[in-house]
Amino acid sequence: MTSPLLRALRVARRYGDVEALAPTDLELVAGETVALVGANGAGKSTLLAILAGAIDPSEGTVETHARVGWVPQRPAHYSRLSARENLELFAQLENVRDARAAATQMLERFGLPDAQRPSGELSVGNRQRLNVALALLGEPRVLLLDEPTASLDPGQRRRVWEVADALRAEGGAVCFATQNLEEIEHATRTIVLQDGRVASLTVEEAFG
Amino acid sequence: MSAVFLLVRKDLRVLRRSPLLLGALVAYPIVIALLVGLVAGYASAKPRVAFVDEDNLPQVVSVAGHSFHIQTVIDDVAKQVALVRLTEAEAARELADGKVVATITVPTGFLGDLETTVVSPHLILETGSGGLAPRVTQQVQALVYQLNQKLQGGYIDANLAFVRLLLHGGSGKFVGRQFDVLGLDQTEKELATLPPSKRVATIANFVRQAKEGLAQTGEALRATANPITLKQAPAHGRTWLLSAQVQSYGIAVTVTFLALLLAAGAMAAERDEGTIGRLRRGLVSLGQLVWSKVALAAVVGLVLGAAIAILFGIVVEAGGVTGGEPWARLPLLLAGVVLAAAVVGAAGTLLGALAREARTASLLAVLIDLPVVFLGLVPRGAVPLAYWISLFLPFAHAVRLFGAALYDTSPWHVVGVEAAWLVGIGAVSGTLARLGARTLSS
Repeated sequence: MTSPLLRALRVARRYGDVEALAPTDLELVAGETVALVGANGAGKSTLLAILAGAIDPSEGTVETHARVGWVPQRPAHYSRLSARENLELFAQLENVRDARAAATQMLERFGLPDAQRPSGELSVGNRQRLNVALALLGEPRVLLLDEPTASLDPGQRRRVWEVADALRAEGGAVCFATQNLEEIEHATRTIVLQDGRVASLTVEEAFG
Repeated sequence: MSAVFLLVRKDLRVLRRSPLLLGALVAYPIVIALLVGLVAGYASAKPRVAFVDEDNLPQVVSVAGHSFHIQTVIDDVAKQVALVRLTEAEAARELADGKVVATITVPTGFLGDLETTVVSPHLILETGSGGLAPRVTQQVQALVYQLNQKLQGGYIDANLAFVRLLLHGGSGKFVGRQFDVLGLDQTEKELATLPPSKRVATIANFVRQAKEGLAQTGEALRATANPITLKQAPAHGRTWLLSAQVQSYGIAVTVTFLALLLAAGAMAAERDEGTIGRLRRGLVSLGQLVWSKVALAAVVGLVLGAAIAILFGIVVEAGGVTGGEPWARLPLLLAGVVLAAAVVGAAGTLLGALAREARTASLLAVLIDLPVVFLGLVPRGAVPLAYWISLFLPFAHAVRLFGAALYDTSPWHVVGVEAAWLVGIGAVSGTLARLGARTLSS
């Protein structure tokens, strides 16, 4: 049996009395793409953020056996820095050997402007592409995508899925959250979340 | 490169890209230094005071056998104010216009009263209605005190002349009347020629006691004139106290405001930008994140503190303020500034973590800064509770540390104690900020 690249054991998250995510188990193994589907507030983003290590679970643990890249739902970068400056900074934080070269590669790969223009002034699409590029800086084997194509045009969406499919093909794993049923075709496995719990529902039933 | 260094460099770059904030940061030390310099300059300046002579004082006045050159006396005693001779009308006009802050009038009959040595003449002081009035009143009181001290010698000598007349006899003049006095010496001799008797012995005894008593009159008069004298303790300061104090307050206010504001804003901005989640994914620990904001505050505090100290020094030197600027103490001062800014930065980081939103954090920082500064300004004896509260806040310690660094000949004890307080406050704030930072990414 293939050992998991990432494993979540009984992870849960509570905000006061509100249970955002009930205890949940999840494994990501090499070569699979997992789709998390569910309505707003179902717990998809919370689960992905916990898997990424961006927030601590209230209980449970996450075992990580590979480098993980995370694309949060809202673009997360320093808006007063340019796209290149953001990429170089996070590459340095990721201990990438040649941060400048890595930034140049990402700028070219995602067609981002290499100018001093603050990233906060970029178009919504460019900011989302920068968001994805930042996640790929450390050459992760696991990619966690939180509604990554929500603000992208069809061409940009295709490019994102090309990146995700390539990573899976190279022995990585992808887990993405979506409300777009058409995107489920990229998944090898689908998990439906409802009210913070894994539900035994069909995708159609989840969006009721 | 360390994560802390990378984040500090990022925050400084972000700061540089915020024109309005950068402009405020550049202008702030200049404005503070100029204001502080003006205050220091004002503190050493002599207010202009009109001198109205309605009694037509002669150039030389004789009091009790002593001659006083009026202008020389005025120049000599007017160390606190600049006296300007004006007519009554000119003085009234200039006081109304604010060109002079007060008028001192020598009324008609002043010299006559003075020369009698038995009636106290009076000067009339009129101050403007501005905020300087209390200070001018104090300065004129000091001037009159010094005039009185000069006149005391003459008065005492005049009184002693009468005592000598009583002792030794001779001719004298009092309130315009000429008279002859036998004197105790001659009385004693006259008594010696009388046949001995109990009554003569009693009178001779009284004369002897009177002579002994009167012989002490000189010292007694001087003691009566100055029951308490003030002696200045040997100066332990290396530069002028007031100058050092205003500079300490200027730098402490700047550092407290800006370090708190910047650290709070920078910390909360990590959540606003959504980058806190990225950083927490093993790239930067919460401790490193807190340290980066503390370091940011320290760096900016150092730059601003140095700018204020240098600009202030230039203003002080150019204005010829008493004491000058203690340039040799600049390294010690700046070391204190770095510490104080870091400690305030730790508190700001806590604030930013709790506020979770940059605008809220900035507003809170301003709202908190004001009472923190005011608490630090309350003297210990005035409101003890305020003093005790201020002990646990960095501002008062920063002021005392800066003041000692600039002023004290041996600053190490005060610097050590205040630095220890600051380190303690910083450690508590930093620990709480580290705990508070956990809420940022949730």
